[in-house]
Amino acid sequence: MFLHYVDLSWRSFKRTPMVSALMVFAIAIGIGVTMTSLSIYHMMTKDPIPNKSERLHHVQLQTMDDGEGYWSKDDVPFQVTYQDAINLQNGNFPYLRSAMYKAGFSVHLNSAQFKPFVQEVRLSSKDIFQMFDLQFIYGGTWTQQQQDDIAPVVVISKSINERLFKGVNSVGQSFYLDDIYVQVVGVIEDWHTPVKYYDPNNGSFNDPENIFMPFTMGAAYEITTAGNTNGWKHEPDNTFKELLASENLWWQFWVQLENAQEKEEFGQYLMSYMQQQQTLGRFNREQLTYNLFNVMELMDYRGVVKHDNQIMVALSFMFLAVCIANILSILLAKFLRRAPEVGVRRALGASKRQVFYQHLVEVTLLGLLGGVLGIILAQLGLWGVRASHGAYDALASMDVTMLFAAPAIAMVACIIAGLYPAWIVCKTAPAIYLKSQ
Amino acid sequence: MLTMNNINKVYQTDMVQTHALRDFNLQVEEGEFIAVTGPSGSGKTTFLNIAGMLETFTNGQYLLDGVDVGSLNDNQRADLRNQKIGFIFQGFNLIPDLNLFENIEVPLRYRGIKATERKRRVMERLEQVGLASRAKHLPQQLSGGQQQRVAIARALAGEPRFLLADEPTGNLDSLMARQVMELLEQINRDGATIVMVTHDPELARRAPRNIQVVDGQLADFTLYQGNPAVAVGA
Repeated sequence: MFLHYVDLSWRSFKRTPMVSALMVFAIAIGIGVTMTSLSIYHMMTKDPIPNKSERLHHVQLQTMDDGEGYWSKDDVPFQVTYQDAINLQNGNFPYLRSAMYKAGFSVHLNSAQFKPFVQEVRLSSKDIFQMFDLQFIYGGTWTQQQQDDIAPVVVISKSINERLFKGVNSVGQSFYLDDIYVQVVGVIEDWHTPVKYYDPNNGSFNDPENIFMPFTMGAAYEITTAGNTNGWKHEPDNTFKELLASENLWWQFWVQLENAQEKEEFGQYLMSYMQQQQTLGRFNREQLTYNLFNVMELMDYRGVVKHDNQIMVALSFMFLAVCIANILSILLAKFLRRAPEVGVRRALGASKRQVFYQHLVEVTLLGLLGGVLGIILAQLGLWGVRASHGAYDALASMDVTMLFAAPAIAMVACIIAGLYPAWIVCKTAPAIYLKSQ
Repeated sequence: MLTMNNINKVYQTDMVQTHALRDFNLQVEEGEFIAVTGPSGSGKTTFLNIAGMLETFTNGQYLLDGVDVGSLNDNQRADLRNQKIGFIFQGFNLIPDLNLFENIEVPLRYRGIKATERKRRVMERLEQVGLASRAKHLPQQLSGGQQQRVAIARALAGEPRFLLADEPTGNLDSLMARQVMELLEQINRDGATIVMVTHDPELARRAPRNIQVVDGQLADFTLYQGNPAVAVGA
């Protein structure tokens, strides 16, 4: 019977093509607008690394003296100092970890034939690739020895490898980062993540870096950060050495903890570390505290998705509601016009329920068509967002979930719009129309 | 086949109560062919709609083939209507988007009959009304008489035991009206019980039993031919 209802719906569309097209277009516009904002919101809020987000933890230490304040919701600074980053990196615990920060370089081959370009580079530990599931195409990460020896080595992304070495296996090849001559030890697939969750301090939706080098090079080559530096203490920080010794906050620190017990143990480690630092004259405060958030907790804590985005999604759904209201009135007129036919069907044995289902199938089909057209309009909308906001490239896209959600939302919307008209027409007294038809 | 005891139908508006049927009593035996006549507004169509379960009645008792219709809900009435009753309307009431085959198929679909069986029954009925070659035609491509024959084929497709016809020849010229009437007589001879509302006294005379509705009551009846009269209350 369902296929018969689909057939009847299709005939109904053909009988009133303009009205049907108007309704499909109305729902498509509503879905297009809704899915554009919903897709961006979905990409912002989705788990960027679902298989590891529970295990990757971001460290924040309350390093400020009593009486000092920070603009985070719990007063705990977002980043850590160089001293803490290095101390934790060298800490005696068995977990994968990475101190890290962002720098910027001019990339070139010291050749007149090659046009240099500027790239952001992440200084990190060798563990970053394993921790964040970055897949190697060629070679591998640098060794602990190279890290400790401050070897000028790098891991580059596939797209940088394409640009510098035309995509061939470039392990062993060298190029320049400003004046630093670095050697490639590995090539990874490009890091695609809609949210730059591992460093939300410098634009949560910026692209990930494409070049990685050992963090030990930072101090050795006096590589300044290309990210934010926050200071709270009046202290000299004019030279790089002074910066390293200061309480300035410019590093991030991540650690991989497999379970609650490891998290508990690492928390105890952090407390004892801070107590030990107090003996050295730092952490001048009564209450020592730290944050150890996993990926999703950190995104929530940092408010990666702003309240404005939620308002935008709500507004787009309100627009969809307006479209539904319009469709409802058109459907009501269309269905009531068909009341005489419904009267005949009722006389021939159709129950109210069957008439109701028949009309719901029609509105569902209407929603499906509107949803498919809505996806095309949403793609246009997302293209518009990408064209006007380069930083939203990774966000302004529709994943499989949203592709399926669009027609589903459209069908549900049309069913909501069609419930009342379908109910009205199904409870029409058939006898009225049988005589007058 | 059909028994109505003290059926009342009252249409209620804010200001006025209209008694369409008053203490209406009727018994129809299996195989009868009854013509219902009466002036306009007398309640003929209301009676027919109640008989066909297209309308509910205010009070009284209606038994169709032993089933107390008053105790049924809408879905049960729809099922019973689909199983036992065929309708023929003055305006044919064919669905314009469906071809003849599909129009006749409608009641069979609601009964849940499988496609092959539906096809067999539809073609059999189209043969019966002489329109098998027009199965793919749309209703508007046929004359009025042909459309009414399709409507009759549709009414018969479900093999109902009870046919309700409301002015079945009202929109037809005399030649076509006679052909349709002959078809109904043939169907009656084949065993179906027929109740036909008509304004046409000539057609009414062709029915073995006549009843007249006046002011919502059975006013009189006349037996023209055939079986002895069944007791009918007025």
